[in-house]
Amino acid sequence: MAPPIALGWWGVPLAIFAGAIRVSTPFLFVSLGEVVTEKAGRINLGLEGTLVMGAMSGYATSYLTGSPWLGVLAAGLVGAMLGLLHGGLCGLPRVNDIAVGIALMLFGTGLAFYLGKPFVAPKAPNLPSLPLGAWSDLPQVHAALSVNALFFIGILAAPLLRWMLANTGLGLMIRMVGDSADAARAMGYHVNRVRLWATAYGGFMAGVGGSFLSLYYPGSWNEGLSSGQGITAVALVIFARWDPMTCLWASLLFGGAGALGPALQSVGVTQGYYLFNAAPYILTLLIMIISCAPDRTLVGAPGELSITR
Amino acid sequence: MAGRLAAAALAPLLAVLASMVLFGAFLFAAGVDPLQAYGLIWLGAWGSWFSWQNTLVRAAPILLTGLCMALPAQIGLVVIGAEGAFVLGGLGATAAGLWLAGLGLPPLLVQIGMGLAGIAVGGALIAGCGALRQYRGVNETISSLLIAYIAIAVMNQLVGGVMRDPASLNRPSTRSLPDAVMLGNIPGTSVHVGLIFGVVACIGAWWLVYHTRYGFAARVVGGNARAGRVAGLPVGRLILSFCFLAGGAAGLAGMVEVAAVQGAASADLATGAGYTGILAAFLARQNPLALIPVCLLLGGLDAAGGLLQQRLDVPDATMMVLRGVLFLTLLASESLQGRISLPRLVRPRLAPVAAAGE
Amino acid sequence: MTAPSLEVIGMTKRFGALTALDNVSLKVAGGSVHALLGENGAGKSTLVKCIMGFYRADAGDLLLDEREVAIRNPREAQALSIGMVYQHFTLVPSMTVLENLTMGKGLRVGRIDWRAERTALGDFLATMPFRVPLDRPVASLAAGEKQKAEILKQLWLGTRFLILDEPTSVLTPNEADEMLSLLRGMVAEGRLTVLIITHKFREVQAFADEVSVLRRGRLAGGGRTADLGVDAMARLMVGEAPPREATLREGTASGAPLLALDAVSARDDSGMPALRGVSLAVRGGEIVGIAGVSGNGQAALVEVLAGQRRHTGTVQVQGEPYRATRAEMLRRKLALLPEEPLRNACVARMTVAENIAFRSFDRPPICNGVRLRHGALRAQARDLMLRYQVRGAGPEAPIAALSGGNVQRAVLARELSSPVDVLVVANPVFGLDFAAVAEIHAQLLAARNRGTAVLLVSEDLDELLELADRILVMSAGEVVHETGRETADRMVIGRYMAGHA
Repeated sequence: MAPPIALGWWGVPLAIFAGAIRVSTPFLFVSLGEVVTEKAGRINLGLEGTLVMGAMSGYATSYLTGSPWLGVLAAGLVGAMLGLLHGGLCGLPRVNDIAVGIALMLFGTGLAFYLGKPFVAPKAPNLPSLPLGAWSDLPQVHAALSVNALFFIGILAAPLLRWMLANTGLGLMIRMVGDSADAARAMGYHVNRVRLWATAYGGFMAGVGGSFLSLYYPGSWNEGLSSGQGITAVALVIFARWDPMTCLWASLLFGGAGALGPALQSVGVTQGYYLFNAAPYILTLLIMIISCAPDRTLVGAPGELSITR
Repeated sequence: MAGRLAAAALAPLLAVLASMVLFGAFLFAAGVDPLQAYGLIWLGAWGSWFSWQNTLVRAAPILLTGLCMALPAQIGLVVIGAEGAFVLGGLGATAAGLWLAGLGLPPLLVQIGMGLAGIAVGGALIAGCGALRQYRGVNETISSLLIAYIAIAVMNQLVGGVMRDPASLNRPSTRSLPDAVMLGNIPGTSVHVGLIFGVVACIGAWWLVYHTRYGFAARVVGGNARAGRVAGLPVGRLILSFCFLAGGAAGLAGMVEVAAVQGAASADLATGAGYTGILAAFLARQNPLALIPVCLLLGGLDAAGGLLQQRLDVPDATMMVLRGVLFLTLLASESLQGRISLPRLVRPRLAPVAAAGE
Repeated sequence: MTAPSLEVIGMTKRFGALTALDNVSLKVAGGSVHALLGENGAGKSTLVKCIMGFYRADAGDLLLDEREVAIRNPREAQALSIGMVYQHFTLVPSMTVLENLTMGKGLRVGRIDWRAERTALGDFLATMPFRVPLDRPVASLAAGEKQKAEILKQLWLGTRFLILDEPTSVLTPNEADEMLSLLRGMVAEGRLTVLIITHKFREVQAFADEVSVLRRGRLAGGGRTADLGVDAMARLMVGEAPPREATLREGTASGAPLLALDAVSARDDSGMPALRGVSLAVRGGEIVGIAGVSGNGQAALVEVLAGQRRHTGTVQVQGEPYRATRAEMLRRKLALLPEEPLRNACVARMTVAENIAFRSFDRPPICNGVRLRHGALRAQARDLMLRYQVRGAGPEAPIAALSGGNVQRAVLARELSSPVDVLVVANPVFGLDFAAVAEIHAQLLAARNRGTAVLLVSEDLDELLELADRILVMSAGEVVHETGRETADRMVIGRYMAGHA
């Protein structure tokens, strides 16, 4: 391999670019899942716990079976089950979906830590990446353009979801249930059932997003793996005004923000490390402050969503 | 009166029972004898004076962080940022303590200064969430959680940077508070006085909410913001003041953590007491007085966790699982019992009072 | 093929101890318009909900075109070509009319061929006497257009027996007439049979062939509308001559205006203008009524006066600028009763006593300083509940346990029990029974006679014509017409309500 060439400050945008792709993938999956859940009128704050459970179960499955892709599948299924739990509880009368979300956040995280103890040390097979940077001689470019397959799945999923929501009976049903439960019921749709499955799907995607963390970047399992990516993705969906394509762009933006810290570190800037890592949260908060207004309802919000009513 | 008390306590009691059963099944599946586990929980939590003291020490911070959720809940806000107020309150208290001690002030004044600093920092943080809600319409649940994460990052940054003790190499930490300034124990016990702060704060909060005009006004606004407006109640002022008190309680808990337990601020300050407080508030149905028995329960479970780990070789995350199960069963049992589980603040400047047909 | 006939035989429905329908039988002839008349609580909604399959009747049969049918849910009703247009709109606000109508056809999951749907719908619309824009989101349609879209949806689904539940309550008189005429036209062509629930005699006489009157769950009578006059229908509806002993009006308005608005403008929640430069004045000893179809700014007006909505322009009470703070409400002696009191002026889960204390909880004797004295609170509640005849539960019960009339009495007790100079009231008797209506109207007149300035916002023109000294008409956020009591003309007011002179 050629000796590493010092790129100097050019390394920063490259690292941010690469980092944006990497860091954005969990945001992408979680938000593409939550966008459907919220379009159906539920908000799932428990995705943080789902993400962590997905990460743990994906890693464990990969370790036990030797196949990272089985791990991804397992992570998705575990996430779907937690989504079913959320949807099921919220379907009970008078249960507040925010409370259930907080409960699931604690439960999912605790369960993941409990079951994941034996898997902290061992090394599980990671997900492969597509070496898109093979054309270059620079190892930094190799590293930067080494993109994970899940990212591509995510990029394809975004326009597909948008098409689905506008052009299929399933999508219209989801939107109807989320905008006016009365109207949906009057037309004979089972509101709670649709929301249940929408939440299960959201959980599946969040689980897959979590598996990305443990099976690709950073690529191992420990208790500090996620801190708030799940909840940030929920805010991301609001920022993206519930449109799957905007979720894609917003995820990349958040990914770039999150990659800022490590990118600067790679060129020797170590000051403010923690603050840079907090960049996605700060960005989310700023965006929420800018885009919300006390007198107006959020434009484009599904009518039944509890936090915007 | 007794009937109403029993009715109100029914859902949490059912939840506790149900979760113990589920927990037992969980343990059984993991190859552990549930009855033995129950026995150890009792032993480790309330079985002896030693375990009682352990329980009380662990209950102390939750009494205060629980208020951080319960007080805004009266006015209809769902605030889950207690961890952030706890952490930054503790850091602020440390800074104040080091500075005041350096000035040579007597220990009592330093302690008071630390307490005030903790309350001020924590209070400002949560009052900020309330302000964002009232004046920008930003949902307080999401903003308080984001602020909690940001606060932890800020704490880590400061502890590892500007406030760092050069002598702490492996684990960044601030300089330690002088021993004279540390909070002492309740005479005759090995429980620090932070417990008294918590109990007094809970009783005071209960009195505020149910026996003063401010609490009445808050409950009106929390029950129906439109009705509050029609009655001319100052919604903004109520939100800000209750959020400040809430954050101040959590910040005080942070100060106690530093001044009674850890002695300095470091990454260890994020103990998770903030999140346990959320669960405590829900179990107490947002009633500050009910927080006291609930925290004794949760503190006991925490205290027993160590014993379980020792004797039955189960990881300490077990208690996290139990807590999660407790939370979920509580929500289910409240629903089945037919109670509303959260007061909800509908935005004060709200959609027009629409007639039928709109 | 003519439109279907429907016969209800001996229908009975009980909810616990309450018998909502008691052995009701009526026949709706095919190809006719049949009106169902009755006051609130008479059982009209229950009857049609049983027909539609929302409720399962405890006894009784249903005959469609002389054949016995059993309807267990709304889907089965729809399959039998029976459909209903409800009081609140059942279209999804954020979706377009096209999307709404497409989804109404039934559960489907796969891809939608929009071109085919659009063509089919276009062909269908060509056969209809009225149209709605297909590609606008329902939320952007006016109330009249929404109502038309609802009817179109039913017809698109193949409904041939159409039930309408108070369809004109949200329409201007002109829109109402237009819609009913169009339906009459379709009935005359034999495409529809219409069963319309209404409480407006005028509509019954103008558009219905036959009428059935329900009272307290029983069929009180009915017949051809040509044979029954308004008095006969009213007698059937209430059982005896309606209580017409109106409280005497004493004195006239005098003095400077106690409530004055000058060029007040405000925006609604989505940023659109809701009030445009409204100016009005109310003096002591008069009732000023605000007429208008719901949605023309009245709600915003009440919110501005309640301090719930930002506004430009000045609001003055007793000559001083008014900002709706609690202190000012007390000093200026202003009381405000929003409509739907349980939803807008009460906390449902707090007790009756606590709700009654909303005005007084921070003053002596209930509060001396900071501490709240529960004993004094309860004593005040017991006293007021007695004086204002609030019944149905004790002071310690949650106020949600009271009936609508008692909630309104409780709120009146709270607001009127101390001297009031300015009273703002919105739709005070909506949904209440006759006795409560009379009582509350008497209270309002008594307040007026005492010298209070009363601003009465109401969607019920009859109420305004009975109570108000002056009537202002609001349309599209502006005051477009003013008339005194003696010169008030229903038709003129109705035209202004619709937005054109």
